[in-house]
Amino acid sequence: MAEHYDAIVIGCGPGGSFFAKTAAKKGMNVVVLEKKKDLGSPVRCGEGIATQWDASYGLPLNEKSIAMKIDAAMAIAPNGTTFKMGGEGAVVERKIFDKFLAIDAARAGAHILPKTLVTDLVRENGKIVGVKAKRFGEEIEFRAPLVVSAEGMENTIARKAGMKVQHTLYDTDVCYEYEMANVPCEPIIELFFGNRISPRGYVWIFPKAKDVANVGIGVGGETGADPKALLDAFIRERPERFKHAEIIEVKGGDISVGASSEQLVQDNFMVIGTAAHMVDPIHGGGMGLAITAGKIAAEVAAEAHERKDYSRDALVRYEKEWHAGEGATMLKRLKLRKTMEGLSDDDLNFIFENVDGKDAGKLMDGDFKPIVARLLIKRPSLLKVVKSLM
Amino acid sequence: MTHKVDKSKCFYCGGCVSLCPFTALTLVETNVVCDESKCTKCGICVKGCPARAIRVE
Ligand SMILES: Cc1cc2nc3c(=O)[nH]c(=O)nc-3n(C[C@H](O)[C@H](O)[C@H](O)COP(=O)(O)OP(=O)(O)OC[C@H]3O[C@@H](n4cnc5c(N)ncnc54)[C@H](O)[C@@H]3O)c2cc1C
Ligand code: SF4
Ligand code: SF4
Repeated sequence: MAEHYDAIVIGCGPGGSFFAKTAAKKGMNVVVLEKKKDLGSPVRCGEGIATQWDASYGLPLNEKSIAMKIDAAMAIAPNGTTFKMGGEGAVVERKIFDKFLAIDAARAGAHILPKTLVTDLVRENGKIVGVKAKRFGEEIEFRAPLVVSAEGMENTIARKAGMKVQHTLYDTDVCYEYEMANVPCEPIIELFFGNRISPRGYVWIFPKAKDVANVGIGVGGETGADPKALLDAFIRERPERFKHAEIIEVKGGDISVGASSEQLVQDNFMVIGTAAHMVDPIHGGGMGLAITAGKIAAEVAAEAHERKDYSRDALVRYEKEWHAGEGATMLKRLKLRKTMEGLSDDDLNFIFENVDGKDAGKLMDGDFKPIVARLLIKRPSLLKVVKSLM
Repeated sequence: MTHKVDKSKCFYCGGCVSLCPFTALTLVETNVVCDESKCTKCGICVKGCPARAIRVE
């Protein structure tokens, strides 16, 4: 026997919940299938999120989800040179944040089914008509004219649907993270760069209280570097900061740092969030992008639902809007990431000594030329590394 | 068995599942399940495991 819905969402992370909430509010009968028993756990996240946009999204970033409010980010070069970038944000408690997003979706009328593992798609005459799932020892079929993959990194069902969303070592950062108590913190996100600290990645310290922080590392997947060994070394080398530190939780995971997937929809199928590689290639943030994608995709899905047309043509506006907006920004940042990969620690020190937070903001927005030109006058040898930004 | 996960290291992040090009792996709560008939022993999951928990032989 099959259960019938207007849309099936696979995965109850921020992307899946926000899609479900938005679509349910527009009158769709949506079910979210989540394989885990606890939402948001195990945490695979630094838990940092920008918050300028939360009001316009009706995002329930309530006080319980927020561990600490942040007002700036600081980047630190190998030699300790720093610059600061302003910007409102928060470090959240993912276990609470994800649960509240799901509660919000449920309040809007969506059905949430934890402990439900989607194992395959159901097709009829080649057409996707639903999914197969395992739940409490039972095999259940869910049917809907629209299936949405919000599977996160483990995008197996999207791949089975024929979407080109396979992750690669080159475009993945491999991460290890401790939540630590007794680490003195300001309300600032800290990012430490350097090839010795982390090959093709960085170490982050994201404060959750004035003496509690997520201390984590991401390393480029193809470098073969051992993230735990490097994180332990980073902590050991900073006894003044970590002398009383206690590990209270171990977390980590792999995260995409490439471009978002080109194709995001096909007949009866959409893919949103990290499942479609929607993660910032510079800092690895994917919660905000998953929510943004969930919102756009649900609005398009609701229109398709009204017209009872779930073809690729009916859904493609989501794909187009994504690539014209966030997708395009991600491509600029990917260019920046690839350039940064070629920099020696000495180059990094030089650049940090010659840019400020405003310059960094421009670089993040893809406005490379004026800053790169200024740096090249002082250090022409950078040209071979940075020429792709000219 | 060719694909082994050291459960004293694994923290159930699913990284290996996302990188396996042959969809041989599934993460079911705290267990990484390998469909040995699909695994080619390519070693990609070994490199992509943050916890260095996987051995493929
Ligand atoms: C170490 C690390 C640090 C990070 N730090 C940050 C950060 O500081 N800030 C930030 O914004 N982002 C960060 N990210 C990225 C962020 O965690 C993700 O981008 C975000 O969670 C993506 O949301 P999502 O809804 O797309 O997917 P997810 O949150 O990954 O949710 C996907 C859900 O789908 C479920 N699922 C998958 N397959 C199935 C199936 N077959 N059946 C049923 N359920 C299924 C999973 O169990 C999961 O719950 C970090 C990632 C890592 C690994
Ligand atoms: S060795 Fe290769 S094929 Fe086998 S599980 Fe790992 S990634 Fe998949
Ligand atoms: S990548 Fe490693 S730690 Fe993560 S689930 Fe797979 S075996 Fe476990």
